[in-house]
Amino acid sequence: MESFLHFVRGPGFLFAFAFMALGLLRQFLLMIWQIARTYSRAGDKSLPYSAIAISSLEWVFPVRKLRDQPVFSLTSIVFHLAVIIVPVFLLGHIELWERGIGLAWPGISNTSADVLTLVAIVTGLALLLQRITAKATRALSRFQDYALPLLITIPFASGYLMMHPAINPFPYTLTFLVHLVSANLLFILVPLTKLSHMALLPGSQLVSELGWHWPRDAGSRVAASLGKEGASV
Amino acid sequence: MTGKNKYSYYVEKSALEVEDRPRKFLQAFAAVLEHSSYSLPLEVYIRLSAKCSRCAAACQLYEATQDPQDIPCHRSERLLRIYRRYFTKAGTLAARLLGRGFTLTDEYLDEMADAFYRCTACRRCKLTCPMGIDHGLITHLARWLLAEIELVPKALQVAVRAQLEGVGNTSAIPVPALIDTCEFLEEEFQDIYQVDVKFPIDVEGAEYVFFPAVSDYLLEADTLMGNAAVMQLTGGSWTIGTGNFDGINYGLFYSDRMMERIVSNVVSEVERLKGKKVLVGECGHATRSAWFIPTFCGEEAPEVVNCLQYAWQQMESGNLPLKEGVKIEERTTYHDPCNIARAGRITEEPREILKAICTDYVEMTPNRTENYCCGGGGGTVSIDEIRAFRTGPLGQRKAEQIRATGAKYVVSPCANCKKQLRELCEDNGLDDVEVIGVHDLLLRVVDLKPDAPKVEDREAPEEMEQELCVPASVGAAAKQDLNISDGEE
Repeated sequence: MESFLHFVRGPGFLFAFAFMALGLLRQFLLMIWQIARTYSRAGDKSLPYSAIAISSLEWVFPVRKLRDQPVFSLTSIVFHLAVIIVPVFLLGHIELWERGIGLAWPGISNTSADVLTLVAIVTGLALLLQRITAKATRALSRFQDYALPLLITIPFASGYLMMHPAINPFPYTLTFLVHLVSANLLFILVPLTKLSHMALLPGSQLVSELGWHWPRDAGSRVAASLGKEGASV
Repeated sequence: MTGKNKYSYYVEKSALEVEDRPRKFLQAFAAVLEHSSYSLPLEVYIRLSAKCSRCAAACQLYEATQDPQDIPCHRSERLLRIYRRYFTKAGTLAARLLGRGFTLTDEYLDEMADAFYRCTACRRCKLTCPMGIDHGLITHLARWLLAEIELVPKALQVAVRAQLEGVGNTSAIPVPALIDTCEFLEEEFQDIYQVDVKFPIDVEGAEYVFFPAVSDYLLEADTLMGNAAVMQLTGGSWTIGTGNFDGINYGLFYSDRMMERIVSNVVSEVERLKGKKVLVGECGHATRSAWFIPTFCGEEAPEVVNCLQYAWQQMESGNLPLKEGVKIEERTTYHDPCNIARAGRITEEPREILKAICTDYVEMTPNRTENYCCGGGGGTVSIDEIRAFRTGPLGQRKAEQIRATGAKYVVSPCANCKKQLRELCEDNGLDDVEVIGVHDLLLRVVDLKPDAPKVEDREAPEEMEQELCVPASVGAAAKQDLNISDGEE
């Protein structure tokens, strides 16, 4: 177990984290490349830039969206805040980064991290509960939609137990292993699942607008390639 | 056999004889992905879609039916699934190596044909999607692909055929009939108002070439008279072209190929007449289609102006004389046509006009960019055989909104919205409501004789009062004279 632990915290973590970072970067760059290509082919190059910017910002920071479906929206926003803040600003994590690559940044106190960790777990489970109980989401949900919120709670729960050995019923090493494996698994899943919205969300409003900006002769080219030139309506 | 039994709408007989449809559908999909701009959104949407169901709460249809297949995200998934399976590496690889994934079948296409015409492409759900997915765009694309295997409502296809290969417009009005109608409307101005208002035909070099929904020539005499009155009173240089006088573009509802051809014809007519701008009449989708002119004809193509923008600009700068002390006193409300309001492009001009000419103007809520569709959007209003669906589950929300305002006049500057709203009121017991255009009301309050002595100088003010009441009946009179029934579209 020790050697396995050594693997997942060393090369395992490196691989998983790099997979996530490079995967997201690849998706982001592909999106940018496709945006540029679509724009360069578009017949109408005038875009409502300020409207796109406003709606993009409104969804990246969705404070104004709280008024529709307030319970769901609030749960979702709080969940997102917690799952972003804790792993990035936990003092223990920052220390590891400093040891590894010599980079450090200000963190949050362990008490705040504790609270936010519990918040992440509770809101994650609440989102899952909402998904299961609401008819519309139940009809839409795929396996990943149920599995991801559950999976996300695992590194948080195990992390919390690591920080509080007094209430941890499991051996420390096992808890640590679960924490590392689940986190690494999540990193790998990010670019492969809907979690890739981490990289794509900022561009999605522009993408939706550009979907309506077709090349000048798209219709006739499609007709030509289908052999329907001059065909009757 | 027109295929009514198979789909919720009629399709042409030939549509039932198309063979090898899944292969042809995928062929069309591949061609569209190669030549148009849809691969960008599809590629991003398949990764982004979070299945959060916020769109369900925004959709008036799902609200009424509670049927999961009516959730916008659920509907879009029908197309995204095909894209994922046949046009992504992961999808084709999974299918080859694991033999997994679904296969596109005839049944699947039939289900799509029904599903994508239950959506009016109003794009209200776009506003609530955290991921920015435009389900209206997906509906738009899915309908085009279905049309390439001839799965398209007969009503839309027949109209486009008449426009592109028949008489030249969707209502199949021959040029002599158009000229007769315009002359008749000029006579109406003489008879009712004793004024000389022109419907200029084929005037070269006019600033504006006028493209209303052509059905207005059959059904909306008052709207057209309002348009003519505004143009004449403001000294606008405008003309109606006999080469093409139809702003309707059902290509927007089912095929970019058709849309491109129809838009190009509009621009050709403006060029033939050496006009400068396209003036679109009171029609939502005609306006939105015309906004695609730079897409299909380049950025040098003529500018597009909607008649509401023109009228308000003139009114605001004091160029449109109004009769003193004459206002619309009945309660009036405004329905935003999705095609001009959803992106926030035309929401204030009609409101400013109405507030200026009505004493009791009230809003429906929600409104402007967040309005509810009339229930006849995306061309569904032209499909008469689904009227019960349109005025039932699809339009229910709008009917409630109208009822809540207690308005006598529901104003909407859109030929499609007006037809749907009238049927909606008829089928939902809103018998006292009158659905009307902005220019119909403008016609009642503009001062057609700005140079004549004012009301107080006249001997018999009662006569004036009488005059005010007349225009409402003009539409009916015109229709009777032309021997045209309301059923035609």
